[in-house]
Amino acid sequence: MGTLLLDGVSKRYGEAVAVDRVDLDIRQGELVALLGPSGCGKTTTLRMVAGFIEPTAGRVVIGGRDVTRLPPYARDTGMVFQSYALFPHMSVADNVGFGLEMRKVARAERDRRVAEALRLVRLDALADRLPRQLSGGQQQRVALARALVVSPAVFLLDEPLSNLDAKLRAEVGLEIRELQKRLGLTTLMVTHDQDEALAMADRLVVMEHGRVLQVGTAEDLYERPANTFVAGFVGRCNLLPGAREGADVFRLTSGAAVPCAPDAAAPGGLLAIRPERIEVAPDPAGAGRLRAMTYLGGRTEYHLDLAGEAIVAVSPTPLPDDPRRRLNAGDPVRITWIPDAARVIPTADAASVTPTPEKSPAR
Amino acid sequence: MFALILPAVLVVAALLVGPMVLLARISLNQYSATQLMIEATTAQNYLNAVADPYYRGVMLTTLVMAFICTALTLALGFPAAYRLARMESRWKSLVTVLTLIPLLVGNVVRAAGWLGLLGNDGLINATLRGLGLTSEPLRLVYTPGAVAVGTIAVVLPYMILTLSSVIESIPRAVEEAAANLGASAFTVFRRVVWPLALPGTVAGCVLVFILCMNTYATAVLLGGSQFKMMAPAVYDQFSKGMNWPFGAALAFILLAATLVLTVLGTALLGRRYAR
Repeated sequence: MGTLLLDGVSKRYGEAVAVDRVDLDIRQGELVALLGPSGCGKTTTLRMVAGFIEPTAGRVVIGGRDVTRLPPYARDTGMVFQSYALFPHMSVADNVGFGLEMRKVARAERDRRVAEALRLVRLDALADRLPRQLSGGQQQRVALARALVVSPAVFLLDEPLSNLDAKLRAEVGLEIRELQKRLGLTTLMVTHDQDEALAMADRLVVMEHGRVLQVGTAEDLYERPANTFVAGFVGRCNLLPGAREGADVFRLTSGAAVPCAPDAAAPGGLLAIRPERIEVAPDPAGAGRLRAMTYLGGRTEYHLDLAGEAIVAVSPTPLPDDPRRRLNAGDPVRITWIPDAARVIPTADAASVTPTPEKSPAR
Repeated sequence: MFALILPAVLVVAALLVGPMVLLARISLNQYSATQLMIEATTAQNYLNAVADPYYRGVMLTTLVMAFICTALTLALGFPAAYRLARMESRWKSLVTVLTLIPLLVGNVVRAAGWLGLLGNDGLINATLRGLGLTSEPLRLVYTPGAVAVGTIAVVLPYMILTLSSVIESIPRAVEEAAANLGASAFTVFRRVVWPLALPGTVAGCVLVFILCMNTYATAVLLGGSQFKMMAPAVYDQFSKGMNWPFGAALAFILLAATLVLTVLGTALLGRRYAR
């Protein structure tokens, strides 16, 4: 088993910097997700760990061994590809057995471990099928089994859920997470889907333009985003420009004074507040105005206007006799939140790296 | 649907099937030194061709030549096709065009070029003499080797283009998956690329084999008078020998041999990995 260390890993293509000095330390049995929009360098980083791309600078260390200059086949990583990349001309069992065959595991032992891996992903009945005879979800489980069966030092997942339909996604995500925990696999995952990352990872690494913006647990990123990019990328967030006026008062550029969390380190910039932390109530004397209300079944979205600033609020849909159910567009409303729910983020930091104090992930 | 393919069907029927039927009929006629040919229904021409050691030799030369050229073309073409298929840069279209350019030059012109290079007063021999390395010209042209080189140069682009389109259809990630599981570059080739490219490889080889079996200009110009392949032999019967029935019979023997071998090859190789 193993650990994974990235030490100042960079990839340049001529002038363009795809990955810029990424440092990352993944502990034994930890699942870390690289999260970011397409082109942020997360896939390039993963491929440098697998050995498909050679870094222009920095070191990749797996289980204490520097593998930076080693070819992919000598690295002992097990990768699940976004497209699954099953061998179309081999049966399910042969696909799963391929890595063991490469490691010169004897036939009997190989058959035993292939059967065990297929049982683990509940595909033992389909061992003789060809990949094209399987559904997408089944193909993915073959890809998982194929990577798991060799007991790799590091398990790599490239957008593992992106090719599944929405219904399967959450279920498979949990399944992978459970398997990963049970087998104690050190795992690096790449995704552009924040829900996927929040649900599966012990720690998340938010990347943009090849740089790491913040590393932390789901809670760190959601409750204490280091900058506006993280605030906007992980979950939805209202970002209101203005400046701190008192310990817990923030003056919006548009003039209104609103409550904010006291934090001496952040004098001004943007006020970040999550939609679900905002309370909306009908109030003829309220400072806000309802522009539109969207009924989404279990929850309702309120599109609000506060002194010229557009604000989105979300709350569980109120009961039928609640006065909020009778709100109409244009009605005056009272918009409130507790001070701790609103954090001030300096504006000029969008690209700067502000590491969150490392916290041990909940086990 | 039918209306769309009708013109092509008519053209093929009129220009290919028609003459072939006519040729088949001629091959059953009797040769006459005075009357061109005599109407008949006899297999004598086929029997004569098969029985004659000279034509058996010509057939053997043609087969050996076609097999060797196809094998060498595959060996030369596969790495080039792989490289071309895996190119990602803007040079890819340029390289594709460069691969196609030789097809713009006719076989005769190209054979003439080889003569200029390999001939007794050609570039190579002139250089060697000029450097004082040889006094007598090396016999490079009018050899089976010269014909093989000339033929391979003609058919290589067909092989490369056929193979590269097949290799392109093999996802890169499948190769990477094999490497990730511990396969060296050679093992990735042997266990993944080769079996997945096999149907295209068979198609490319069949195409090239047919072209090699029917080599004419290259065989005549680079092989000289001592070297004889089937296509020139057929032509000789029609133009010099004026023995149309015998020429037609030779043509059908060549056609049959090519057909049988390509069908056999496709069936045997194609089945190996088809499941």
